[in-house]
Amino acid sequence: MEKIYLDNAATTRPDQKAVEAALSYLEENFYNPSALYKEGFSVRKDLEKARKEIVSCISDSGKYDMIFTSCGSESDNQAIFSAARRGNFVTTEGEHAAVFSAAAELARRGTEVRYAKLNPDGGVNEGDLLSKVDKDTSLVSVIHVNNETGAVNDIAGLAEKVKKIAPRALFHSDGVQAFGKIPFRLSGAVDLYSVSAHKIGGVRGVGGLFRNKSKNLFPYIFGGGQENGLRSGTENTFAIMQFSAAAKKKFSSLDGDLARIRGYNRLFRSLLDEKIFQVMSSEEASPYILSISARGLRGEVLQHMADDAGVLVGTGSACSSRNRYSRVILACGADEKTADGVLRISFSAQTTEEACRCAAAVINRCAAELWERTK
Amino acid sequence: MEREQVIIVRYCEIHLKGKNRGYFEQVFMNNLEKALAGVRHEIRRPSGRYVVENFDGSRTEEICERIRKVFGVHTLSVGIKTGADLDEIFEEVVRIAPDSGTFKVETNRADKHFPLNSVEVNAEIGGRLLGKNPSLKVDVREPQCVLHIDIRENGTALVFRDIIKGAGGMPVGTAGKGMLLLSGGIDSPVAGYMIAKRGMKLECVHFHSYPYTNMQAREKVEELARILAEYTGGLTLHVVSVTHIQEEIHKKCPEEMMITLLRRFMMRIAERLSLETGAQCIVTGESLGQVASQTVEGMTSSNAVIKTMPVLRPLVGFDKTEIIAKAREIGTYETSVLPYEDCCTVFLPKHPLIRPKLDKVEAAESLLDVQGLIDEAFAGIEAVQF
Repeated sequence: MEKIYLDNAATTRPDQKAVEAALSYLEENFYNPSALYKEGFSVRKDLEKARKEIVSCISDSGKYDMIFTSCGSESDNQAIFSAARRGNFVTTEGEHAAVFSAAAELARRGTEVRYAKLNPDGGVNEGDLLSKVDKDTSLVSVIHVNNETGAVNDIAGLAEKVKKIAPRALFHSDGVQAFGKIPFRLSGAVDLYSVSAHKIGGVRGVGGLFRNKSKNLFPYIFGGGQENGLRSGTENTFAIMQFSAAAKKKFSSLDGDLARIRGYNRLFRSLLDEKIFQVMSSEEASPYILSISARGLRGEVLQHMADDAGVLVGTGSACSSRNRYSRVILACGADEKTADGVLRISFSAQTTEEACRCAAAVINRCAAELWERTK
Repeated sequence: MEREQVIIVRYCEIHLKGKNRGYFEQVFMNNLEKALAGVRHEIRRPSGRYVVENFDGSRTEEICERIRKVFGVHTLSVGIKTGADLDEIFEEVVRIAPDSGTFKVETNRADKHFPLNSVEVNAEIGGRLLGKNPSLKVDVREPQCVLHIDIRENGTALVFRDIIKGAGGMPVGTAGKGMLLLSGGIDSPVAGYMIAKRGMKLECVHFHSYPYTNMQAREKVEELARILAEYTGGLTLHVVSVTHIQEEIHKKCPEEMMITLLRRFMMRIAERLSLETGAQCIVTGESLGQVASQTVEGMTSSNAVIKTMPVLRPLVGFDKTEIIAKAREIGTYETSVLPYEDCCTVFLPKHPLIRPKLDKVEAAESLLDVQGLIDEAFAGIEAVQF
């Protein structure tokens, strides 16, 4: 029995067509793009074309460029350690660990870090964020789509408001769960933007950091000077070419996918047993992510039961004495019992209505059974 | 000239065993061979010690580490093999001698035909060394460095300096077989180590409650078993689900008795597994008073279900800090403290019973189909070899 996969916010199945389109870079076109012979130069040209195509998906390539990194986490780390060099760093309690842990490291090294509170849906509280920004702020980082609740932050609007208070500050956003999923174009006020290939049908091993060309970025990995000296290391040409093909495909069907998945998300909400489940995600959240909680049950136990019944979903809790509860769900104001019962359902363009119906039924059944077994 | 390295292994306590000595030595030899499986080597047995030879010199450190973990090893030394010739011996002694400080030479002469006796070899080599390096001094009482020369019967000699402490104890397999309750915490692997050190072969049983516990918790226990197996020359881990047992206790019995009753089930399962696998006792990591269930009353309650064998608790008088120190020493601590829950907190009572009364425990238990639940647990048992 093939399992139903609804943990697409963790990773997606690589797009096979995109893999095939890029395979030659593992085979006959294996050359190092920095090599000066014709073969190397030809790969370089292909790589630059791919870069331009990805950049154009969400921005004007005259205004923005992008460096290839190894993943979204690396992009976030480079943005933060590059830009938060003076004054204070303002971020939110709803960030992905790649930003949150990097912020903690910055604090350890002596930079003042300020965390803005969240609204109950997981989006940042705008008033609180802006009250933490001052003229000494060097960097503000706000996640675009929250990876646990799907809450969408209006980063273009926030960036504009931040710049009014702190004109010299840079604005970064982790766009890993937004890129290729919700319609969006980078405005001039957003300076740095992180993306990752494997959340939209790309393979793991490549991410990108968009940069407003008028702003400085500093290298994080030093070496042979690739990516204009901003990210050394021989480029992962296969993964980059596959990313480009997957992105092109995803963006061409973005609106259609979004409408369809919005439908599945609504369907899923309506199918859930409301005596057990409470929906954590707001109606305005990215439809790709649906966070629900079976208060009084433990999310990870439900996850194991659903797994045994053929449905793979994410969870916000863990049978672990460390990280027992999701810090983001707690920051939304949920109590520990609610946080303990969180499951994260996340869709992809490949998700079908039948899979949603079947998965909802399995999850309802598992939760009811768990109630029965532990009451 | 690059000469061959050898490892000299000395054993402990076996010499106490009188007429059984041959048997103990054979088991010890087998355990050494097992520890070195997959590495090219030869083990010889000249009088009173073992010598490992003919191995790849670049793997000396790894081989020493493997031997060090074999119970029964008192000490070991890495030596150089030379001809039984004073010039050759001296050449190697110079190589391993310190640059300064005090030393003495200690010779062991198995070949009684060698022209000089042990004392004369000591004097000759010591004298030559003093002549070559005036910053050295002889101190026969408390030298900073002892240079050993071992003149063997086959026309060769071994020269070595450092003595590495081994795991000690008795060869595993010379003291029967026990069934260790391996939880995933800090204590139980140490208990297993302590008892294996006295020569006992081990089987382990681990209880899990999937889906309330996860794969990582199971993986962690397998890793602990793998580490223990390095000391015990392999072992079998039996993995048993107690999920349904916990659910039944949760439903039918007083909340505070969860642990007491669960322990009794674990003991019964361990006893039955022991009888099936030939283990002669049950070994647990309990330490008196460490947690609520580890009181003398708690032990009485769990002992009461065991009819045919003793329950050994090698850590009963240890402090937690002592157990942690031992766990670090034997290499299980890092794994034990991984934060995965081994007995899900979903069922943990807020106030577990500290002094369970046997009659009350038995009354609560009578509400359960004990035999049926144990049979069910046995039906799903898995065995993993390490």
